[in-house]
Parts: sequence; structure tokens; C-alpha cells
Amino acid sequence: MLKAIFYFLIFPGFLFTAVAGLLASWIDRKVTARVQWRVGPPWWQNFADFIKLLGKETIVPQGSSRATFLLAPIFGLAAVTIISTLLWLTMINPASTFIGDLIVVLYLLTIPAIAVIIGGFASRNPLASLGASREMKLILSYELPFILVCLVPVIQAGGTIRLGEILNYQINNGMVLGSLSGPLAFIVAILCMQAKLTLVPFDIPEAEQEIMAGPYIEYSGPTLAVFKLTRQMMLFVVPMFLVVLFLGGIIFSGWHILWGILKYVILLVIIVLIRNTNPRVRIDQAVKFFWGPMTLLAIIAVLLALLGV
Amino acid sequence: MNLKLKSLTKSIWVFHFASASCNNCDIEILDALTPKFDLERFGILLVGSIRHADVLLVTGMITHKGAVRLKRLYEQAPKPCFVVAVGSCACSKCIFKDSYNAAGPVDRIVPVNAYIPGCPPKPEAMIMAVVKLVKSLTGK
Amino acid sequence: MKIMEKLEEKFGKKIIKCDKKSERRIYLDINPADLTDFAQYIFRDMAARFIIASGVDTPGGIEILYHFSFDSSGLILSLRILLDRDSPEVESLTSVFKAAEWIECEINELLGVNFRNHPNLRHLLLPSDWPKGNYPLRRKS
Repeated sequence: MLKAIFYFLIFPGFLFTAVAGLLASWIDRKVTARVQWRVGPPWWQNFADFIKLLGKETIVPQGSSRATFLLAPIFGLAAVTIISTLLWLTMINPASTFIGDLIVVLYLLTIPAIAVIIGGFASRNPLASLGASREMKLILSYELPFILVCLVPVIQAGGTIRLGEILNYQINNGMVLGSLSGPLAFIVAILCMQAKLTLVPFDIPEAEQEIMAGPYIEYSGPTLAVFKLTRQMMLFVVPMFLVVLFLGGIIFSGWHILWGILKYVILLVIIVLIRNTNPRVRIDQAVKFFWGPMTLLAIIAVLLALLGV
Repeated sequence: MNLKLKSLTKSIWVFHFASASCNNCDIEILDALTPKFDLERFGILLVGSIRHADVLLVTGMITHKGAVRLKRLYEQAPKPCFVVAVGSCACSKCIFKDSYNAAGPVDRIVPVNAYIPGCPPKPEAMIMAVVKLVKSLTGK
Repeated sequence: MKIMEKLEEKFGKKIIKCDKKSERRIYLDINPADLTDFAQYIFRDMAARFIIASGVDTPGGIEILYHFSFDSSGLILSLRILLDRDSPEVESLTSVFKAAEWIECEINELLGVNFRNHPNLRHLLLPSDWPKGNYPLRRKS
């Protein structure tokens, strides 16, 4: 029991993921600044932002539903902590998790976005409602190809829905990326991940120039700190999930740890480069993009995996 | 010096409000955020919502209609929040001294913590104002 | 040139004075009662573009100019009317083109000119609790 609390709160749960997420988000800001020929913030900038936000006062808008408004950020934080705990425990000891944990992780990955929607609608602000409804449309659009491509490693590993067995299959037979259906599914997964993290070109809900911070518009102080921390932890957790599914996870023995961290860093760099070289798309363009070409590619990848390639 | 104040001086989030401004000061504020001066390395970010802001930057000669909204904005900002008046029109009414629609310089409407005179002030002057504001907060 | 000839042919005596400041800048003085006819002809039949209206308080009365642009030739034509300062009134041009709505609101609140049949006269620049009868752009006597 004590061990579970340790896993959940310290390593690999809340503390570890929070620190890693804050540092990953700093890498994002620094690389963006360098691409724009600027200097960029120091490495402790996100920590300072978090502590500063904890010290400001919380304002609850009049007429909003108070409990929903204040509790919405905590759902997202709890969900992302559980996902991180599950993923790292699976990587450390592939036999220690339960059957069906892939489905649990896929469900939990949608909860931070739902927490944003609940918070946006509870704010009693027309701009927040607009941002939350855009987030809903975005979720509906990218979940379809995302779940389809998550089937590809499942099919290749022989129909198992346990993350530990997918990892074992990749240790024995090489990464899922090494087959024909693997890269196709990986490309679709990267684009769906960009939308899940609400980064440009899909940061439509929080379009700063259009709707002034979208669903986060009424949040201030500690509640905003929790929302931002959830976003930064997602920047650490979602690429790690893709590393487990497609790139073979991190094997904890000797040099393989460095190779595992390198896999995560490469994914992070891809995300940041896509983020810096693209404009934002409209919500109807995003929906057409995910339900059109992306779903088609995902179906082709699944068919190729079923054929055994 | 306590942690709350120290973290506030290291990460300042700015909200920009312009009322009846000729937009020169607004362009210079934008200049200060561009790669040549790069205020983000001090932790200064431009935010979209007043509820996320630590500093309210006010430019322009404030009209009567704008004064009502400026007061409302100041009340909506979560404390601690500091107000900086940018440009000569915001510090004193400058050439609009006798205008029928000027509702007074900014410190008649909300309490001001720093004044940046100039028409328009250079980005270096704005950076100096930020440094002076931070020093005054930490008590030096 | 052709535009002035067309106007003189259609309106003749109604043009009180024609002031040709340069090749591309013409001022026509007219009677306030003929304003709507002139505006309809210039905007609809001659396909000009309405730029803006401007109002000044001169010693002779309140003067309003309506500026029209003929984009193909680069000519800017201004219609000038002179109104009595004690009770300035003129017909609104919103029935001819919708662009007159806001500029007439502004001239009304700053100079005190009443526009008959205007759909929505309200304060755009001044706050709603501005004292009535205090028109800021009138000369202080």
C-alpha cells in the first residue's frame, strides 16, 4: 500500500513527471526561441512561473458553478499522473501490469482535454464556451485515427492488449517502426499527438489572437497553475506513450537507457519543429484533415499490419 | 526575501491595454518582444487574458469610455498586479491636455507603479523601467 | 471634363458655385434641400464611391462636406452645404448608402447637426452621460 503511494506520488508518479514535464516544456521554449534567433528563457523559468502562479489570488466568476470551476483542473492532473505511473512501471518491469492497461491508458489520455472542456463551460464566459466547443470538435476529430493506429502494434504483437507484452514483442523482434505498416502508423500518430497536446498547427482552442486564451480565460492563480502543469506533463507523457508503442520503450540496462532517452528527445524535437514552422489551421480544416487523409492512412496501416507486413 | 516575491520578479506576465492611442507606443512595446531585445529571457510573456496578468501596460490618452473599462480591468486582475503607464500620453495627457474627451492621465483612474515617459519610449527605456520596477519590489 | 459636364447638364442652376481647386479636386456648393438628389445621382448613376463626410463650424454657419471619389479617373468631388448654426438640420443620406450611418452619428454628437430620418442616432465617441447641448467641436463664442 505504501509502495503504491510512493509510486503514485514520487517516482514515477507526480513529482518525477512534473519535474520532467517542466524541463521538457523548457526545451520547447528554448528551441522555439533559438529558431526565432532569440536567446530564450533560463532552465528554471517554468518552475518560477509555477511558483508565481501559486502565489496569486484565485477569482471565481460570479454566477459560475463554483465547485465545477475549481475541481476541473484536478481531474486532468490526476489522470496524467496515473498514465505516467502506469507507463513507467510497465517499462521498468513489463510483467507487473494488468491485462487491458492499453485501453485504460487510451481512456485516461482523453481526460485532460475533457477537464479543459468542463472548466471552459463552467466559466460563464462566451469566449470560454467558444474555446471549449472547439476543443470538443478537435477531440472528436483526432481520436478516430489515433485509436486506429494504436491497433497496429497490437496486431503486430499478436493481438495482445497488454503494454508489457507489446514491449516484450519489440525487445524480441525489433521496433514496430521497422516494418512497413509501422512508419505509416507512426506518422499518423505524430500528427494526432500534435493535436492532443494542442500545439500549433492545432492549438485552435487556445488561439491567443482570436479568443484570448480560450477555455483558460477565467482561470487565475493556483487553478491556472494546475492547468498549465497538466499541459506540460502531457508534453512528457504522450511522446513517452508513443515511444512505448512504436519505438520499443526504454530498457533499463546499461547503454540502453541513454538510447531510450534519445528516442524521447527525437520525438520532442519533431514536435517542436512542426510547431515552429506551421501556421494555425481553422477548426473545419482540422476536422476534414483528421477524418479524411489521416483516417485513410490509418486504415491502410491497419490493413498492412493485418496482412503481416 | 520570500519565495512568492522572488518568483514574481522572475516571471512577469504582461497584459496590454490601449485606449485612444496613436499606436506608436504599442508598436514599441511589440518591438521590445522581438528578437532584437527579447524580453522573454527575463521571463516576460504577453498573455491574452487579464486574469493571467501580473502587469497591466496602459498606453494612450484614456477617453471617458475607456476609463470605465480600464477601472473594470484593474478590478478583474488578480492581485498582486502592477500598473505601468507607457508613453507621455499615459503619464500626463501630453498634447491632449485641453481635449474634451481626455479622462485624465492613468493615475487618476488606477494606481500606477511605474511611468515610462517618451513619445514613443524606446524599448531600452522599457527594459530599464522593468528593472527599476523589479528593484523597487524587492526593496532595493 | 466629362463629369462636370454631366453634372451641369443634369442639375444646371442648382449648383450654386463650382470651385475647381485643381484638375482632380472639385468643390460644389449646393443647397441643403438638393443634397439627396445630388448624392443619389453621383453615387448610383455615376457610380462614384463615398469616402467620408466632414463638418466644420465656420463663421458663416456649420459647413458639411461630402467627399466622393471617381476611382477610374482619380477625381475627388466634394459637395458642400452650409447650415444655420441655431438649428442645423439636413436630410440623412442613409437611404442612399449605408456608409453614411456612422459618420452622421459622429457629426451629430460633436457638432449638433440633426439628421432627419436617421435610423439610429446614438453616441459613438462620447460617453452616454455627456451633458446634452454641449457640442465639443463648436467654436467657443
